[in-house]
Amino acid sequence: MEALVTQIQGLSGTASDVLSLQNLLKQADDSLHAESTRLPPFLDQLDPSKHSLGYLYFLEACTAGPVTQEQASSFLLTIARFISSCVAEQIRLAPDKFICVCKRFKDQVLLLEEPLRGVAPMLTAIRKLQLSSEHLTALHPEFLLLCLLSKCYKTALSILEEDIFEVDQPRDLFLFCYYGGMISIGQKQFRKALELLHNVVTAPMSTVNAIAVEAFKKYILVSLIHHGQFPTNLPKYASSGAQRNLKNLCQPYVELASSYSNGKIADLETYVEANKDKFESDNNLGLVKQAVSSMYKRNIQRLTQTYLTLSLQDIANRVQLNSPKEAEMHVLQMIKDGEIYATINQKDGMVRFLEDPEQYKTCEMIERIDSSIQRLMTVSKKLNVMDELMSCDPLYLAKAGRERQRFDFDDFDNVPQRYNI
Amino acid sequence: MDFSVVNQALSSKSFHKMADICDALMLQSAAEGVPFRHEWPFVLHLLAHIYVDDVNSARFLWKSIPATIKESQPELVAAWKIGQKLWTRDYAGVYEAIRGFDWTQQTQLLVAAFSELYTTRMFALLQSAYSTISIQDAAQFLGMNEEDATNYVLQQGWTVDPTSRMLTVTKQAIVKEQKLDPGKLQRLTEYVFHLEH
Repeated sequence: MEALVTQIQGLSGTASDVLSLQNLLKQADDSLHAESTRLPPFLDQLDPSKHSLGYLYFLEACTAGPVTQEQASSFLLTIARFISSCVAEQIRLAPDKFICVCKRFKDQVLLLEEPLRGVAPMLTAIRKLQLSSEHLTALHPEFLLLCLLSKCYKTALSILEEDIFEVDQPRDLFLFCYYGGMISIGQKQFRKALELLHNVVTAPMSTVNAIAVEAFKKYILVSLIHHGQFPTNLPKYASSGAQRNLKNLCQPYVELASSYSNGKIADLETYVEANKDKFESDNNLGLVKQAVSSMYKRNIQRLTQTYLTLSLQDIANRVQLNSPKEAEMHVLQMIKDGEIYATINQKDGMVRFLEDPEQYKTCEMIERIDSSIQRLMTVSKKLNVMDELMSCDPLYLAKAGRERQRFDFDDFDNVPQRYNI
Repeated sequence: MDFSVVNQALSSKSFHKMADICDALMLQSAAEGVPFRHEWPFVLHLLAHIYVDDVNSARFLWKSIPATIKESQPELVAAWKIGQKLWTRDYAGVYEAIRGFDWTQQTQLLVAAFSELYTTRMFALLQSAYSTISIQDAAQFLGMNEEDATNYVLQQGWTVDPTSRMLTVTKQAIVKEQKLDPGKLQRLTEYVFHLEH
């Protein structure tokens, strides 16, 4: 052990030294695990900011066993300090170990029922582990989980803003988008929530998984809240398993959506009341209620398509509100949220519906369009790169070669069926 | 605990930055495993969220505060009342909640700043949403008595009809920038290049 510590201290200077150190550590890993109880004092001899890789190996071995109540707090402190002081380049050489340590950290934080404690360290850990802001690591969903449990929704938003292009494990993506959807819902950013949940339900999956089922339930509800409707079919690029099975597994929600599309709020409320227990056991009752109240908005919005002016009393009648004053408050809220363009005339008790005043001529609007175009161009370039990479992939070429046989003999290119490298 | 960052923001009147400062400090303190909650300025933290109109974060913060602290700090409960009124869209109720408590000196700064901001926001809302509105309702929305409310809106260019007790809204014409700068030409060139290839 002592020899190993000396080697770590000696070989943590340059990048090439660290690589040879890594080999030594890999070989010593089993013995580290065997002697895990003896390791803590050695940790003190190492400096996490200089000997990050060595420290990581020791730390991972130390934390592999069960942790007692008394040890728990100092254990958390050690890991939190390691995360904040470690050198990113060194820990990226052993990502699995780093992820392992961080997951144990999260487990311990949850056992102590202090999720808030883990939020800042986990965010730091993500930044050190990821190769770029486009890279989704296994720690991303853990971070979101901690944010959800500690109610730090705003902190999570910064991570959700980033565009993801690389994913390590599919499960990470499912969980990340599901939790991300929940956080966006909590912050009432329904468009973002819809985007994230959409990713879960349309992601490639050979069999439907539980995360996708739960995501689908929320997806239906958020669709109703944000768009006022739910598309009866998933897009074609969703997996066939999802297209066939998701609806059957979320029956009450699908029925809720069709009741919603009839536009009668009384019927919808009856349906919700009848199925309250199911929604509650899914923890979706709050979201269901938001969907129900969004129906008033939908119905008012529908009125703008037919009428130029309407009295508050008429609105109340048509939308099944109790009084003109209630109708006025609803319309006011919608004007405030930008969901409708209208002015209220209290003198006559009328509402005048207006056209969208946006003329798309301002500098602000040009900036918005500009930045959208820039983003599209970046995505387009990335797609080109991916396309090129994929057309060199042997698996793809083999499949393309097999499928090309269905074409005419004249179209037949000499694409080999088996590609021997 | 070191709250100098928070106090500095308060004294320099950078109220809009306070929410982020409080959030960051809270996460940092929690990560160090220090039990910070009994010292934490939840009142300021809560009001900071309310100031930037982030009622969602205020709500979540309120939910995460332990019941014992809620019971021992009546000022905190009073601060949340403001948040509650905002959440339930009881526009007039917000003013009642603001005036219904004798705030401490530090808190009073933030509450007063919020009150002013809120009145301005409410006025902007009325301006965009109403063509005519009764004096009574306007007074409620602006948190003033009817006479003060009338004077306030008259100063902003509205007109009043004393017989019907109705105010007519005059919208200010907002001139938005429409000039383009030559840098856009470069951007357009890039777009065309991209489309061609």
